[in-house]
Amino acid sequence: MNKRSTALFMACLLIFSACGSAGEQGLQGERGEKGEAGEVSQAAIEAAVDAALAEEKAEVGGSLVIYSGRKESLVSDVITAFAEETGVSVEVRYAKSAALAGTIALEGAISPADVFLSQDPVSLGIVAKEGLFDVLPQNILDNVPTWAVDQRGYWVGTSGRSRALVVDTRDVMDSELPKDIYGLNDEKFRGRLGLAPTNSSFIAMVSCMIEQDGEEKVAEWLTAINGLGYTEYPKNSPQVAAADAGELDIGMINHYYTLRTLAENGDSPIKNVFLDSGCGAMVMPAGAGILSSSQNKTAAMAFIEYLHSNSAQEHFTNTVFEFPLVAGVTPNELLPSIDTLNSPEDLNWSALALWQEKAVELIAKAGF
Amino acid sequence: MNQYSLKDVKTPKILFFSNMIILFVFLMPIGYLVYRFINFSRSYTSFFNSWNVLDLLGNTFFLFLTVVVLSLIIGLAVSIITVRFDIYRPKIFFTLSVLPLVIPSYIGALTYVSAFSPKGLFVQIFSVFGLSEISGIEGFFGSCVVLTLFTYPYVVLICSSALRNLDSTVEDAARSLGKNKFQIYTQVVIPRLKKPIIFSSLLVGLYVISDFGAVSLMRYSTLTKAIYSYYELKIDGDPVIFYSSLLIVMALFISFVQRGTELSNSSKVSGTPRIPERSQLRLKSKFFVYLFLTVVIILGLILPISVLSYWLVRGLMSGNSVRAVFGGVVGSLSTSLIAAIFSVIIATPIIIMVAQYKSKFGNFLERIMLALYGLPHIAVGVSILFITIKIFPGIYQSFTALIVSYLIVFLPQAIGAGQASMEQVKFSYLDASNGLGNSKFQTFYKITLPLIYRGLFAGGALVFLSTMKELPQTLLLRPTGLNTMAVDIWSYASEGLFTQAAFSSFILLAISAIPTYILSTRNLTK
Repeated sequence: MNKRSTALFMACLLIFSACGSAGEQGLQGERGEKGEAGEVSQAAIEAAVDAALAEEKAEVGGSLVIYSGRKESLVSDVITAFAEETGVSVEVRYAKSAALAGTIALEGAISPADVFLSQDPVSLGIVAKEGLFDVLPQNILDNVPTWAVDQRGYWVGTSGRSRALVVDTRDVMDSELPKDIYGLNDEKFRGRLGLAPTNSSFIAMVSCMIEQDGEEKVAEWLTAINGLGYTEYPKNSPQVAAADAGELDIGMINHYYTLRTLAENGDSPIKNVFLDSGCGAMVMPAGAGILSSSQNKTAAMAFIEYLHSNSAQEHFTNTVFEFPLVAGVTPNELLPSIDTLNSPEDLNWSALALWQEKAVELIAKAGF
Repeated sequence: MNQYSLKDVKTPKILFFSNMIILFVFLMPIGYLVYRFINFSRSYTSFFNSWNVLDLLGNTFFLFLTVVVLSLIIGLAVSIITVRFDIYRPKIFFTLSVLPLVIPSYIGALTYVSAFSPKGLFVQIFSVFGLSEISGIEGFFGSCVVLTLFTYPYVVLICSSALRNLDSTVEDAARSLGKNKFQIYTQVVIPRLKKPIIFSSLLVGLYVISDFGAVSLMRYSTLTKAIYSYYELKIDGDPVIFYSSLLIVMALFISFVQRGTELSNSSKVSGTPRIPERSQLRLKSKFFVYLFLTVVIILGLILPISVLSYWLVRGLMSGNSVRAVFGGVVGSLSTSLIAAIFSVIIATPIIIMVAQYKSKFGNFLERIMLALYGLPHIAVGVSILFITIKIFPGIYQSFTALIVSYLIVFLPQAIGAGQASMEQVKFSYLDASNGLGNSKFQTFYKITLPLIYRGLFAGGALVFLSTMKELPQTLLLRPTGLNTMAVDIWSYASEGLFTQAAFSSFILLAISAIPTYILSTRNLTK
């Protein structure tokens, strides 16, 4: 007995240490190879590389902590590419945008984060409201259209997305569909709706509704939707999967999840419906800002510039199916023209951020 | 002559002070919640008015009661069958029926939810028979099924080892008084198992109210689910603190009620217990016994493993990368091993103090430790999160904070296992050692430790298992860049990426099987 337990304990230790060292070696090996290959090709192609460029690259380094409210599967490729190109060692904390905004607000000056990458402007607005972002330089803000930046310059959009309904075309006729989000409050949709009440974009939409239509109307709508019987999802993507599988008729989502499914399977019976007016048709930026408490603002700036680079923008539009925001990058062919969407005009993102707490309360009050 | 009697011996100062520090750390999360609770900016009634507090409390309590009762019924039945009846290879049946313990509730829930999903195993199987519409499993029913299946092994583990040690002479006496088999079990055996039954129902009950993985996946609104939803919505909100406080009050209430039922020492016997012969079964009852065991093992073990295998094969065929899970494996092993080692180191002085020095402080410490048994992880996690930000920013998002948080929740497991083995250390041994001129430390090293180290090791193994399966605290407190298998499984599962989730789940299960095996073959309550 005695020997056996000791042996087992040692075995655990051995397995653990073996895993540890194998992991390090594996990573080092991979990095080493890639580094060498990269150097060789660079040397061959760019023999007389621009000295200024080399200097600029040399400056960027150290480590960078990114709080990402955007899903790992959507942004990790871009972040890895940035880390490889610049040599910055990047650590990413993934969680929901609203949770990370709250975390940063709570952390204040001790926040370990350098960059906050958010899936919605309202979460960015919360950090801006707390005065925890640096104002970004004008040349970065100028990379994207004015609707996609914070009016005070605390954060900048990195890609665009629209609220939409995902619809199972086998069970939903076009004639049934409402003109705006309030039209979903109808007996004919009883038991057919899906939503993700903790999703940051959903909360952003509700914040927008409060701003545009007033608290009372929104509270009424939420209670009514709850009364109709809805299916709750943790996120947007499972709603699209459920619609694809025939489990859900109508889900309230961001547009790109549907396009991802359609790109994988052109025969899928689902489609996006963009509403005619109101916050259900809101087009909003995903964006990023640099925290005032950051210890490595050079790298943080380089990262945001990288998000505006052609390769990152192409990734966002061709892999994630979002709207690119930087001029000169062609939107993916599955996307509708952004001009045809009917988003409420002149939305003030920092004003929406002020409604976030109220939105959360109304969602909870309605019993979601 | 110095004598080891219960009241005379003074607690050594080192023991006293080290335990004071431990006690302080332990009470910190509760203290912080209390502090926040009395400093709310809004009135308490506004919480009851604006949020569905009563519904959440009701749901949580109802789930707790149902799962405890179901687990006790299944667990006691399995224990009695595998220990007392003459069945084919009882050890194999015992091991198989205990193994669901290694499946964390969120993996269990994941397998049931995903099996019923449109591309899941059940739908594929049933479609062969022409059944295309099968309804899913969720809500109260789903949570009940999953939590019962993955908690009844606690009852089996604890009650079967007590059953094995039960002196059967009392039963012989009952038999000679004309009691039939059934009466002997309901009137003699089960009442004599009162202590392990209360202990295991406490374990199960606290597991249920602390669980958030299964209820979230089953979409059943309990307090834990509400806490996490609010954390995801807005972290600094009062609701997170409010619900966490409620949850802790509920856990303490359950502990007190169950502890309050006076614990008898009836199962303790002097001398060697007489082990009864295994009862023979008639053919008809044999059939039902095997059917029962088979159904339990299929639902708790074979089905989840099959569903995971199904997703795994699908994943491998579509070329999923194996490398992605590696970081999680390293993270899980390192955190669990460190938590286990520290739990043993910290538990030992507490066990010694409580058992050998019956001072007022020792009694108090024991009460607190018992009361803190199974504090809801998510509530402790929330509290530690706020404490590290507001009071100790130096260890915010650090490995240290994570381990401390694990220890607060899991240390009582190590203490419980060690205390059980401490019963072997008779005061007469200590007296004898003292009489031979050994110092207190020598007595500990030569007498106590050799008798209790197996219990301590079992406790460490329990902590290892629990830490590896832990989810909500890890989600809230992990250092940036540290992944564990539990976190990987959770994030994949919540994106509906069942194939990826299956891979991490498999590795987690493969590693947990080792300590579980140790636990199931060792006599915990000896």
